[in-house]
Amino acid sequence: MMPTEGSLSQSSGKQNPAVPPLIAIAAWIVPGLGHLLLRRWARALGFFLASGGLALVGLALRGEVFASYSKDPFGLLGFLADLGSGIFYLILRSVEAAAADISRASGDYGTRFIAASGIVNVLGVIDAYGIARGRRV
Amino acid sequence: MLVAGIHLSHFGAMLTFALLVSVAFACSGRRTLAMRIKYALLCFLLFLAIAVGIAWLMYPLSR
Repeated sequence: MMPTEGSLSQSSGKQNPAVPPLIAIAAWIVPGLGHLLLRRWARALGFFLASGGLALVGLALRGEVFASYSKDPFGLLGFLADLGSGIFYLILRSVEAAAADISRASGDYGTRFIAASGIVNVLGVIDAYGIARGRRV
Repeated sequence: MLVAGIHLSHFGAMLTFALLVSVAFACSGRRTLAMRIKYALLCFLLFLAIAVGIAWLMYPLSR
């Protein structure tokens, strides 16, 4: 049974302490899912479109999707930023097996778009966690 | 599998980035839909104004 409006986010004292971390994990795996579970429809759609849009435009611009085994510190930072986009990271890794298109500036823009997708989703995770804890509305 | 690439101008890429990030900013912590729309518009216009301002300041360096 689905929870009623705002029932997961209200701090009534009987809230399961495992709910906010689970909401945060759901929000990380699929951008907007945390807000969807909290019945914040508009925010769920907004975060999904923003994070997904940035990732897909970054892919179309032939940006670089960083791998976990990079020895370069900037590559590691790029991986952490990219990983923030959750399922979109896995999609980008599976779709784009080649390296970034560095022959044009748009390839570099694409790399930034993909990193921004992850950062935007981290913002969504923090927001969903705050709502689930009752600290945000 | 390779995906066919698109090529945006610097300005086009900046507009796309500003639009999507403004939507995300507006979705975070704003109570009503009207407030979110206003905040998204404000963020988008600030992105645009600051980018054009920085470009204008950097113009002498390109010569």
